[in-house]
Amino acid sequence: MSAINEKDILIFVEAVSNFFFQITQEKVEIKTAYLLEDDVPSATFDLTSYITLSGGFTGRIYFSAPHSMLTHLLLVMGEQNRSDERLLDAAGEIANTISGNARKHFGETMEISVPTSQTTKSNWLKTVVSPRSYVILVKWKHYRASVVVDIQRAEQK
Amino acid sequence: MNDDRSIFFKYRKIVFAVVLFMVADAVVIGVNFYNTYKSDESAVSINLSGRQRMLSQRMTKALLMTENSLARSRNVATKANLKELNLAVKLFDTTLKGFRDGGMVTGGDGNPVFLTQVETDESRKAVEETYEIWDYYLGLLQPLLSKNQEFSEEELEGMLEFVKNNPDTLTAALAFAQMNNLKILQYMNDLTTDLEHVANKRASTLRIVLLAGIFFALVNFAYTVVVSIRDLILGDHLLAQSRKETAEILATVREGLFLLDKDKKIGTQFSSSLPDILRRDIQPGADFMPHLEAIAPRSVYEAAVDYIELLLGDRVKESLVTSLNPLTDVPVLVTDTRGDTQTRYLSFFFNRVITAEQISHLLVTVQDVTDKAVLAQQVEQAKNQAKAEIETLLRLANSDFDTLQRFITNVGESLAQINAALSESHEEARERMRILNQIMRLVHGIKGEAAVLGIDMLESYAHDCEKEMIVMRDDENFGGDQMLRVVVLLEGFYQQHSSLAQVVSRLGSALGKAHSAEREDAAEDTPRKQPFVDHITALAERIAADHGKQVKVSCQLEKMFSLPNTVTRELQDISVQLVRNALAHGIEAPDKRNAHNKPLIGRLSLRCESLGHGRHSFTVRDDGCGIVPERLRKLFVEKGFMTLEEASALSDKEIATRLFLPGVSTAETPDQDSGHGIGLDVVLEKVKRMGGHMLVRSSPDKFTEFSIQFSTTP
Repeated sequence: MSAINEKDILIFVEAVSNFFFQITQEKVEIKTAYLLEDDVPSATFDLTSYITLSGGFTGRIYFSAPHSMLTHLLLVMGEQNRSDERLLDAAGEIANTISGNARKHFGETMEISVPTSQTTKSNWLKTVVSPRSYVILVKWKHYRASVVVDIQRAEQK
Repeated sequence: MNDDRSIFFKYRKIVFAVVLFMVADAVVIGVNFYNTYKSDESAVSINLSGRQRMLSQRMTKALLMTENSLARSRNVATKANLKELNLAVKLFDTTLKGFRDGGMVTGGDGNPVFLTQVETDESRKAVEETYEIWDYYLGLLQPLLSKNQEFSEEELEGMLEFVKNNPDTLTAALAFAQMNNLKILQYMNDLTTDLEHVANKRASTLRIVLLAGIFFALVNFAYTVVVSIRDLILGDHLLAQSRKETAEILATVREGLFLLDKDKKIGTQFSSSLPDILRRDIQPGADFMPHLEAIAPRSVYEAAVDYIELLLGDRVKESLVTSLNPLTDVPVLVTDTRGDTQTRYLSFFFNRVITAEQISHLLVTVQDVTDKAVLAQQVEQAKNQAKAEIETLLRLANSDFDTLQRFITNVGESLAQINAALSESHEEARERMRILNQIMRLVHGIKGEAAVLGIDMLESYAHDCEKEMIVMRDDENFGGDQMLRVVVLLEGFYQQHSSLAQVVSRLGSALGKAHSAEREDAAEDTPRKQPFVDHITALAERIAADHGKQVKVSCQLEKMFSLPNTVTRELQDISVQLVRNALAHGIEAPDKRNAHNKPLIGRLSLRCESLGHGRHSFTVRDDGCGIVPERLRKLFVEKGFMTLEEASALSDKEIATRLFLPGVSTAETPDQDSGHGIGLDVVLEKVKRMGGHMLVRSSPDKFTEFSIQFSTTP
């Protein structure tokens, strides 16, 4: 697994937190963190958006949240359209914010893909991420969401 | 010396012009002086030649008046006229000789004066022609002249009588005078005119010389000014060029460069990278030492003060003290642009700047050697890790393979339990703290097992994790952010575990053991007595040695290895903790034991016995200092676990039970074996899990005994 530290991971979590704070004046709170293994919760919620990194780090950062949380977010934003598509867009915007923070922290040499958003079933993340990826469970209002960090520091040549 | 020569060479044109000016001045002054001297001579000559004209008239007049007074018989007047004639003749004659031959004559003021011989042909001719007349004229006058020129009354009477008796003498002289008077006058006039002409010529020469001198001085001055201005312009240009080059060097060079004066102030110019390297705002002329003090460790700063003083003094040679430089690879705390404090490594090099054989400054070069230092640390760390791995490997090679496999499995299970505990999300701080304590117990268990097997690598990592988690446990704001750190530590654990599993797997292959996970032979999984006794004895001796103590371990554990495997493993874990506890807190150092008249070598016994009806006891006993409630009260108050009132309110039994609470420790300084308040709470938890209970007996300065009683029947 990569030799990343909690400061690196916090960059992604802070991005989510700042996103919520800018829109709702309420930061998200880290509830706990663990490694994604077979015998722990999968951390997958209804909608997941992810970005793919290459450069200094390689891998993916996922943001997964329940319908209810994103719907509430759109409500706070004054959005009338709260269709599934719009919810996926909202998840993508959050992933975009993660992308911006990552570029700021790791430098322009880091290549970051555009977000991919999709609806996800309960065990989806366990089927796509590397073993022992970092799961950070966050809370906004009474909702839970997850940021999953599945990246490795690229080998220096 | 070289500097002097180079300065002379640099200004050679100006120096040459100045020397030329001085020489020319000396020549002009010399010529002037000579001309002035000659002008004085000319003035005397002109003056005396003019006087000769007057004397020629005076002589004729004196002759005429003598004749007149004699004719009237005026004797007194005749004597006066004769005296006048004598004086005029003598003065004329000596002066004329002076003009011809040069010599001392009577001047216009009656004082002797040197008269130079006439030099020009015209003057010589005038003098010679005068002599042609004067020689004869003087012969005619001779009878009328006094012999000694004293002009006493008797002599004057004698002269009067001579004139009365020889009137022809007077008449002849008078006749000659009347005939040649004008000629003499003319010759003396010619002499005067010529002398004036010579004087004028000399004055004219002097003017020319003076004008030439002034002209030369002006040319010389103009030359000096032109050369000086040209040199100044050239010098300014070179200086500007030099400054530009210096500025470019200082702007480009990656090292911090500056001059340090004797007052330890930074020079007016320094490289632009200096503030970046020091991460400080550096002003020209600022004191260097406060900047150094702010970033360097105290001890290094103090050594640097002495070192810089030594270099600024001239008592020691620079080459001899270079190796004493304390400012190489110095770890400094700097603040980066984001406001985060970070450690960087800087090296400062000092070179004396010598001017006129005196130390004027120190040239200081500062390099950021962080990359090099970090690399060196990584190399050192890698070396240590490799060494630890080799040592671990050697220990593993000597260990019981099945024990190792079980250890790998146990650690894996513990890590999974830690991860599972982390995945529980709780709102309440108390719950989060409970989870942290649970994780700490699991980590402590891994540490204990690793210690028994001598797997330093894992034991050391577990110890580092423990230290970090203790800090978290004491943090009132412990929350999700810290959990993130715990999970990163857990990932590190997984990596250690994975490496170890690979090593054990390879070792198994090397030993020809079939170590497959599918192995179903239950007998092979059974804990075995001898390896455990060896490990626990080795562990006890290592901990004793680490604490400067000596111990003899005795084990009666046959019964323990006849119990169900799960129970045996729990007892093994409990043994590790109680042995650690006995060595860290119970058994005293030899000097203390000696003071209590106890054998220097402490005794530690582990015993497992059957109590009948499926009940058993497991006892760990040491002959150390015992548990003394009063000492515990004092320690707990000192360490802030409770107030004096709270400690006083507790009974002896109650105070002793506090030892089993998480976070409570009696160790003076925490180390790998004690002091973190994890251990006895782990033991108690295991005892509870086994459905047993624990008895503690102790006597001050005699012994402590932990006895666990449990049942193996359902």
